[in-house]
Amino acid sequence: MARSLSSDGRASLTELARLGFSELAAAGAKLAAFDPSLVGLFAASANPDQALNYLVHLRDQSPDQLARALSTPDAAQRLIRVLGASAGLGEFFRRRPSELESLADPLTGLPPLETMRSSLVSAVEDALSRATGPSANGVDDAIVALRVRYRSILARIAAFDLEQIDQLSGVEAVAGCLSDLAAAVIDAALELARRHVPFAEREVEATRLSVIGMGKAGAHELNYLSDVDVIYVLDADASLSPQRALEIGTRLAIELARAIQGPSSEPELWEVDANLRPEGKDGALVRTLDSHLAYYDRWAKAWEFQALLKARPLAGDRELGDRYVAAISPLVWTSAGRANFVESVQHMRERVTEHIPPDERDVQLKLGRGGLRDVEFTIQLLQLVHGQVDDGVRQAGTLPALVALAERGYIGREEAATFARDYRFLRLLEHRIQLSTLKRSHLMPRDEGALRVLARGSGLASSAADLLDQWQAVKTEVRTLHERLFYRPLLSAVAGLPEEGFALTSEQASARLAAIGFTDPDGALRHIGALTAGLSRRATIQRNLLPILLQWFAEGTDPDHGLLVFRRLSDALGESHWYLRMLRDSSGAAHRLTQVLSGSRFVGDLFEKIPESVAWLEDDDDLAPRPIGVLLEEGEAIIARHSDDPDAAAQAVRTARRREILRLALASILGLVSVQQLGRALTDVTTSTIRTALAIARRRRQDEIPAGMEFAVIGMGRFGGQELGFGSDADVIYVYRAPEGDGEAAQKAAERLVADLNALTEDVQVPLELDIDLRPEGKNGPVARSLDSYSAYYARWSLTWEAQALLRAHGVAGDETLITGFQSLADGVRYPASISDSDLREVKRIKARVESERLPQGAEPSRHLKLGRGSLSDVEWLVQLLQLRHGAAIEGLRTTSTLDALAVAQESDLLTASEARMLREAWIFASRTRSALTLWTSKTTDVLPNDRAQLDGVARLMGYPPGSASRLEDDYLRVTRRARKVFEERFYGKTGHTP
Amino acid sequence: MDKQRDFVLRTIEERGVKFVRLWFTDVVGTLKSVAIAPAEVEGAFAEGVGIDGSAIEGLTRLYEADVLLHPDPATFQILPWRGEIDPTARMFCDIRTPDGEPAVADPRNVLKRTLAKAADRGFTFYTHPEIEFYLLTSSKLDDKGRPVPVDSAGYFDNVPGGTAHDFRRRSVRMLEDLGISVEFSHHEGGPGQNEIDLRYADGLTTADNVMTFRTVVKEVAIEQGVYATFMPKPFSEHPGSGMHTHMSLFEGDTNAFFEAGAQYQLSKVGRQFIAGLLRHAPEITAVTNQFVNSYKRLWGGGEAPSFVCWGHNNRSALIRVPLYKPSKGQSSRVEYRAIDSAANPYLAYSLMLAAGLKGIEEGYDLPAEAEDNVWNLTDSERKALGYSALPASLDHATSIMEGSELVAETLGEQVFNYVLLNKQREWNAYRSQVTPFELDSNLEML
Repeated sequence: MARSLSSDGRASLTELARLGFSELAAAGAKLAAFDPSLVGLFAASANPDQALNYLVHLRDQSPDQLARALSTPDAAQRLIRVLGASAGLGEFFRRRPSELESLADPLTGLPPLETMRSSLVSAVEDALSRATGPSANGVDDAIVALRVRYRSILARIAAFDLEQIDQLSGVEAVAGCLSDLAAAVIDAALELARRHVPFAEREVEATRLSVIGMGKAGAHELNYLSDVDVIYVLDADASLSPQRALEIGTRLAIELARAIQGPSSEPELWEVDANLRPEGKDGALVRTLDSHLAYYDRWAKAWEFQALLKARPLAGDRELGDRYVAAISPLVWTSAGRANFVESVQHMRERVTEHIPPDERDVQLKLGRGGLRDVEFTIQLLQLVHGQVDDGVRQAGTLPALVALAERGYIGREEAATFARDYRFLRLLEHRIQLSTLKRSHLMPRDEGALRVLARGSGLASSAADLLDQWQAVKTEVRTLHERLFYRPLLSAVAGLPEEGFALTSEQASARLAAIGFTDPDGALRHIGALTAGLSRRATIQRNLLPILLQWFAEGTDPDHGLLVFRRLSDALGESHWYLRMLRDSSGAAHRLTQVLSGSRFVGDLFEKIPESVAWLEDDDDLAPRPIGVLLEEGEAIIARHSDDPDAAAQAVRTARRREILRLALASILGLVSVQQLGRALTDVTTSTIRTALAIARRRRQDEIPAGMEFAVIGMGRFGGQELGFGSDADVIYVYRAPEGDGEAAQKAAERLVADLNALTEDVQVPLELDIDLRPEGKNGPVARSLDSYSAYYARWSLTWEAQALLRAHGVAGDETLITGFQSLADGVRYPASISDSDLREVKRIKARVESERLPQGAEPSRHLKLGRGSLSDVEWLVQLLQLRHGAAIEGLRTTSTLDALAVAQESDLLTASEARMLREAWIFASRTRSALTLWTSKTTDVLPNDRAQLDGVARLMGYPPGSASRLEDDYLRVTRRARKVFEERFYGKTGHTP
Repeated sequence: MDKQRDFVLRTIEERGVKFVRLWFTDVVGTLKSVAIAPAEVEGAFAEGVGIDGSAIEGLTRLYEADVLLHPDPATFQILPWRGEIDPTARMFCDIRTPDGEPAVADPRNVLKRTLAKAADRGFTFYTHPEIEFYLLTSSKLDDKGRPVPVDSAGYFDNVPGGTAHDFRRRSVRMLEDLGISVEFSHHEGGPGQNEIDLRYADGLTTADNVMTFRTVVKEVAIEQGVYATFMPKPFSEHPGSGMHTHMSLFEGDTNAFFEAGAQYQLSKVGRQFIAGLLRHAPEITAVTNQFVNSYKRLWGGGEAPSFVCWGHNNRSALIRVPLYKPSKGQSSRVEYRAIDSAANPYLAYSLMLAAGLKGIEEGYDLPAEAEDNVWNLTDSERKALGYSALPASLDHATSIMEGSELVAETLGEQVFNYVLLNKQREWNAYRSQVTPFELDSNLEML
C-alpha cells in the first residue's frame, strides 16, 4: 500500500476517501489514536467507517485484548475485514472481547465438521465442569458457552469467506461449512440435553435420537442466518417402553431447541424449525421410524414428499438417520406418479410468486420472478419428474442437482453453467446481507451507502450502480430459466436435431407434459413434433417459441385442445410472412392466441376456417367491433365484385360474417367488449349480412319484382333489441308495399325474396336462422304481408301478445319509406293510449303458461338461462309489460332495448333503483353466461351445465379464477333469485305469497 | 389427522369390527348410513366412497354425477347397541364432488362454512342443546287416533321402577360409550316426556352429537320395547318437544359474551348477537321449526316462545339470558328457545350463528328487555312494546324465508332453493287434508 501520509503521519482526507471511508474528517480524527500502519488495511474492508468505529469501541472497552488482536498485520487485516462486513459480529466482540483471539491465528481453510463439533462439545463440557458450587447453574453456563463458541467459529468462517479472491466460486463451500457448523452445534446441544434431562441415565442412554436436516440444512447449503429445518427420529432398545422412550425423546428435542434458541445472556442463534414433520405443528414432535413411514405411506401430501427430497442425517444418532433416509427416499420418487401431482406443482409455483408486500417487490432476492426460489422451483420440478426413473438426479443440493441434470442430459450444459453462476450470484448477495446484521433477511438494501458496502463486501462490483446493473441482468436471465430448462428441452425429444447437445426421450418429455396438466401428453408430443420438424423458417421460429407457448397453454382450461388447434392453424398459415413475424416479435399476440385457443372451442373452430385472422391479436384496433357503415361498404363491394354470380356473392357474404363473428368472439374472451357492446355488434353483423343478401336477391329477381314494389325486413325479439348473443336466432318479419293493382304478383315476389334470403344466408357452421315465428297468426300466417295487410290485421284481430312482440320491432333492411310506414303502424299497436285490464291479464296469463310449457323436458327452471327463474325472459317480459302500459305516456320507454327501457322505467319511478339494479344484474349475468357457454363448447345451449369441468371452463371465460365451478353456480342462482322476486312482485302483482 | 386415522384403523383391527357405517345427513335432517367393510376403510380415507347422489333428499337433481363420502376419523366410535357379536362402528362424513370441492348440498358443509366465517372474525361457536322427546308405548295410535305415552308422570317426578328411569339410565350409558357427555336429565312436563342435555361443545361436534343422540334414543327405545319420538307436538294438550339451545362465542379462551360489570355481565358482542338473532328470527324459523307440526308447538302454549323478544331469565321470551353465576365468567351465554327437536341441527345452527354474527357485523342495537310474562300481555300491549310474533304456520315461515338474503347466503343458493321447494310441497300436502278438528266441529253442525 502506497503511503501518502502527510508530514505528521496522518492520512489525508483524499487518502481516506480512496480507502473507502465516507465520514472523512471523523475517520481521520479517530485513526490518529491507532498505529499508522493500520490505515491501509481499511481498503479491504466492506465498510471502513463501521470497522473503525468498532475498533474505537473495543479499544475503550478492552485495550489489552484489542492490542493483542492487532499485534500482527495479518491478524489486524482479518479483524478489520470482519468488523467492516458484519456489525453482528462487531457487537459479538464487544460483548465477548476475549473471543477476539479467534481471529489471531492464520486461516488455512474452512474448519471441518469434526473439528467444529469437538470444539463445541468441549466448550459445553468445560462450562459444566466449571460449575461446581452450590448456586452454580451448569446448564445455563453451558448454553452461553455453546453459543459463544458457535459465534467465534462463525467469525472465523466469515473471515475466511471475506479473504477469498473469488468469493463467487466459494459460495458453495461456505454454505456447506455453515451447514456443518449448524449440525455440530445441534450435536453439542443434544449432548448437553442428554446430560441434564430429568431421567435415569440408563434410560437416556437407551434412547436414540436422530436429527434429520431438511430444507437448506438438509441440502448442505445453509445461509449465514437461516432457520434450520429438522425432523426427529426416535429409536430405543427393548429395555424401555415405547411410551417412556417417546417421553424422553420429546424432552431431548425440546431441550436441544432450548439450548439454541431459548432465552439466555448470549442471544439465541437461530430457530430450530420442526414444522416439516408429519402433520406439521399438530403432529408429535418426535416419532419412531415406523411411525414416520406409516405416515408417508398413507397420508402425506405431495408437497411433503417434495420436502423430503432434501432429507439428510444432520446430527444425533447417525446410524438411525441413515436408516431413515434409506427408507424414506423411495417414497419421494414415486410422488410424481401420484394423482394430484399436477395440483401440487401449481401449489409450488404459487409459492414462487407468493404474496410479496408491494414495498419489497423491487428489493426481494428470494421471492418473485427472477429470485432464488424461482431457480429452486425449476430445479426441484425437473428432479421430481425425472428422478422417478433416474436416480442420478436425486441430489439434495441446488447446485449439485443442476450439475446432475446437465450430466444426465435433461438440460443443456451451457444453461446449467449460466444458471449455476446466477444462483451463486444471488446467494453471495444474500450471504453478505445476512452476515452484515446476523439477521434473517432477503432484501437488498435501498440506500446508496449500504449498496456500496454490499458491492465492496461481495467483491462483485465497485459501485452501487454497477451492482444493481449486474443484479438486474441476473434477474432477467433467471426469469427465462423455467422456459429454457423445463420447456425448451421438450422439443429435443421430438426434433431430429438436438440443438443443445442432448435430447430428452419421449417418455421423459411425456412425464414433463403430464406434470403441467396435459391429459394426453403423447398426443401433445406429436403436435410439438409436427410443429418443429424440418428446417423451414417456420419450424425454426416455432422451435424458439414453443417452450413459452406450452407454458401458456398449460395455464388455460384445455391445453390439449389449444395445442391441437394451434398446430392446425400453423399448418394452414404455413410460411406466411406476417404470421411468423407476429409469433416471433409480438409476445402479447402469441399469449392471447394460447389464451383463446385453450379457453374456447368456438374460436378454435372459426380460426380453422379463417386462419389469417390470427393477425388481429396483435392490435386491439383490429379486435374492435367494426362500425356498421364499414360492414355495409364491404357488402356493396361484394355485390359489385360478383354481380353476375349470386352464389359466389353469397359465399363471400358468409365468409365476411364468420370473420366478424370471430372478431367479436376474440374481443369478448379477451375482455375488450362488454356484453351490451357485444349485443349491438352482433346485431350490426347480422343486419349487414341481411342487407347485402337482400340486395343480391333483388338483383337476381329484378324481372319478377313488380315495378315500384317496396320490401323490408323487420328485426324482432333480441335482434330488434340489438341484443344478440353468440348462437342467437334472428327473429324477423317481412313486409312489402305493392304498387296499385299488382297485389298478387307482389305477394309472390315477396315470398321469392324471402326464400332467396334464407338460401343466401344459410351457413352450416355458424347458423343464421331467420326465424319468422313472431309474425301475425304465428305458424299459420303467410311468410310475408303487405303493409296494408298488417294494418288490417292489427286493426281487427290483434292479440296482446302480438302487440308485445311488436315492442321490439325494428326495421333492419329494405326500403326506408316502407320501414317508416311499418314503424308508425307498429307504434299505434305497441304503445296503446290505454290498455285494458283484461289485456294485461292476458299477457300475464301467457307468461305463466310459457313458464310451464316452454321449458324443455326435464330442465331445471333455476338453471335455464333464457326461460328459467329470474333469467332473461323474466326481465324482458316485465320490461315489456311496463312498455305496454306506459309507452304512450313516457317517450323514453319507446325503445327496443331492454336495458335502455329498464333505465327509463327507473327514472320514471316505475321501478325502484334497487329493483332495476337486480333486474339489470340478472339480465347481464345471464347474457354473459350464455355467451361464455357458447364460446366454451362451440354449441348453442341455454342450460347452465351440471358438469363441473364445463362449469369451470365457462367460469374461466367469465373471468373467475380456476376451480370456480361452485362459485359460478352460486352467483348465478343468487342474482336470478333476486330478479325473480322483483319480477313476481312487479309482473304478477303483490297478491300475497304464491300458493 | 393421521393419528386419528391410525387410531381408527388400529381399533378396527383390535376390536374385530365387522362393519363401518358411514353417516351423513340429508337436507331434511335425516341420518343416512352406508355400511362398508373394514378393508375398505383405508381407501375411504384416501379417496372417499362413491354414492349415487340423486338418491338423497336435497342432493336430488342438484347433481347428475356421483358424490363421494369422506369419513371424518375424529368421529369414529364403536356403536354400543350392536353388541359384541358383530361389532359395528360409525364415522360422520363430509360429502364432496368428484373434483374435490365440498358438495353444496351437504348440511355438514353448510355448518362448517358458517363456522369458518365466524373463525375468520376470531370467534369459535359453542352450543349446548336441551333435547326433549316423548316415550310412547309404540308408534301405533290408540282407538281415538292418539299416541299413547308410557306413563303419566309430571315434571321432575320420579317414577319408581318406571320405564323412563331405566330408559334414561341406559341412554346415558350408551351416549357416554359414544363419547357424548350428558349434563343433566329429568322428566319434562308432559306424560312420557323426557329431556336430556348434551354438554357444551363446539357447533359442529354438537350437531354431530344431536344426530347420534336421536339414533341412540331410538335404538334404546326399541331395545326396551317402547317408542321414542322427536315430533315437535305429538299431543295437543301437553307441551311440545323443543331443543332449547344455549350459545356462546369464544375469542381464544375468552368468552366474548362476558363483560364484568356490564348489565347481566353481557358484553357488547353478546348484546349485538342477541339483536341479530331477534331481527332475523322470523326468517330462520322455517329451518329451526321445519315441519307443519312445529307450529302447533310454537303456538300451543306450555312455555313455547311465540313472540320475538328477549329477557333475563324470562321463560316467556324467545331469547333468554340465563342467570349469571358469579363463579363462572366463562358461562355467559344466550338461550334460543324456538328451535325444536326435529330440526336439522347443521342447518339450524348455521342460521342461528349467522343471524347473531350479522348483528355483530352491522352493530344492531338491542331492543329493551321483556320483563313481564309475554303470554299474559294483550295483543295491544305486545304491539305497544314492539314484540312481533314468530311465523304462525309453516306456510307463513316459508314465505318470510323466501325473502331472506341472510338465509340464502348462509345455506347457499342450492340448499336454500331446495328447502323452499320442499317446505312448499309439505305445506300443500298438509293443506289438502281434512282434519279430525274440522269433522268434529263442522260435520254435524253444517
